[in-house]
Amino acid sequence: MATEYVKYVDVTKCDGCRACMVACKNWNDLPAEPQDFLGTMQSHANVTADTWNVLTFVEHENSKGNLDYLFRHSSCFHCTDAACEKVCPENAISYTDKGMVVVDQDTCVGCGYCVQNCPFDVIQLKNYKDENGKEYRKAHKCTMCTDRLDEGLQPACVTTCHTGAMEFGEKDDIIRKAEKRVNEIKERYPNAMVYNPQGVGGTHTIYVLAEKPSVYGLPENPKVPTSAVLWKDYAQPIGKAMVGGVAMALAGAFVANKFFDKKNGGHEEDGGGNRE
Amino acid sequence: MKKSVVSKEYTNLQKEIVKLQEQWKQSLNPDRIKPNLDKAALNAGVPVAALTVIDFEITLFIQWIDEINKLIAKNNPELEGKLTKVSELLNEETAIRWIDEAFALNHIYFNRFAQENEIEEWIPQFLAETALRPYLQLTAEKVQVEIHQAIPGSGCPVCGEPVRLAQLEGEGKKVIHCPRCLAHWAEKRIACSHCGNDDHKTIQNITIEEDPTSQIQVCEKCHGYVKVIDTRQYISKPSSAILDLNTIHLDFIAQENGYKAVVDYNDSIR
Repeated sequence: MATEYVKYVDVTKCDGCRACMVACKNWNDLPAEPQDFLGTMQSHANVTADTWNVLTFVEHENSKGNLDYLFRHSSCFHCTDAACEKVCPENAISYTDKGMVVVDQDTCVGCGYCVQNCPFDVIQLKNYKDENGKEYRKAHKCTMCTDRLDEGLQPACVTTCHTGAMEFGEKDDIIRKAEKRVNEIKERYPNAMVYNPQGVGGTHTIYVLAEKPSVYGLPENPKVPTSAVLWKDYAQPIGKAMVGGVAMALAGAFVANKFFDKKNGGHEEDGGGNRE
Repeated sequence: MKKSVVSKEYTNLQKEIVKLQEQWKQSLNPDRIKPNLDKAALNAGVPVAALTVIDFEITLFIQWIDEINKLIAKNNPELEGKLTKVSELLNEETAIRWIDEAFALNHIYFNRFAQENEIEEWIPQFLAETALRPYLQLTAEKVQVEIHQAIPGSGCPVCGEPVRLAQLEGEGKKVIHCPRCLAHWAEKRIACSHCGNDDHKTIQNITIEEDPTSQIQVCEKCHGYVKVIDTRQYISKPSSAILDLNTIHLDFIAQENGYKAVVDYNDSIR
């Protein structure tokens, strides 16, 4: 793999301007999604297939009994061990040479297992209609502006951030910077921490959070489902070698239905914290 | 989206040359360069390098040219024979002349030299210029703290190279960078580097479709242009020499639209 780069998000520097959302829409040519008022400053309840990053606004009572208004740029974390990649029966989800997780739109069949298994709820399906009126779906999410990275440019959201809350750089430098920043803000935010969950092998978006992850609606300890690991890393390669591609594809469909379909009694996962 | 029209192979060769130049510059004794920062001369547009006493080490200059030749031959073996011929021609006397003429950007001399010795036209000046730059860059490094502005139309205040490249920095400050000596200085965001015009009605920015980082700032008064690159969007900033090379498509666009990097004041509308 080439030099490993990550996006750095220091939520304590974010002023909630939402320019990152606009830059993302603009760069990726994503359509606007008019929303009803949600009762808060937050524009969208969550990311969608056409809104790849959302600025979340959380009203939180801190340990001193005061109100903290917490903002967070929320988008795909680009996990090093991505559950979406593991459960995809068509191998439509893969890693770029820079470690970013991307969906091949030509291969995606819209089964939705990635949506159900993402510990951060950041991949979503979009409905389409072909020329015969037949409906089909495709999974969409933030690509970390892979087309820009390939040309040596930073992601669009990072370049537009006017407070310096977001940066893009080499992983080791960013982790050092994040740890230093946490030490600087500990007095004001005693629960401040670097969020780079190891249950998914670390992520390519590293946060400095002012509070515990659950306060931001993030899982405290996200994990790749064991069934997905067993399937992708063990059963699939061995099966392909032993029984051939077609038989394995049938087996794949069965396993995916049985284990990855959360709605119909699939596995449980440690995800989604307290959405205040 | 594609940021450059220059081939990866050629860019990599230039990167290796820039790396070599940096090594050579580091090996130079800074005391061999004695700049003369004459304020009156600077204000009259005389480049610092023209008044600087540089104690060139001729054998080193010849050695550097040999090193460039080896690098080019490694990347393009077909050129080996031609470059060997240049090495054979380059004695101390010729090297001194090359330094003087490269310093003055005297392409007439180099073209004649190439013709007389039956070598390709680009080779002598390219080699001389490449080996001269570490001296110019060290000169610029020594005087950089004193370089805050340039006289419009006089080119780089250190080496005299025509202005053609600017970068956006910080909150959007326009900083002119010289790709030859690497000196840099700030300039008003809406101002022509060639004639000093700062009338917003006659300064325009040409943007390039699918190129989010580049603009060409053109002046309708003197028909000069400067490439303005938003390098804040880059993951890592390239050297100004590489940036100049990789944005060469902007020079084509500007020149095809009738703008010039070197303005002939007889032609300009003033």
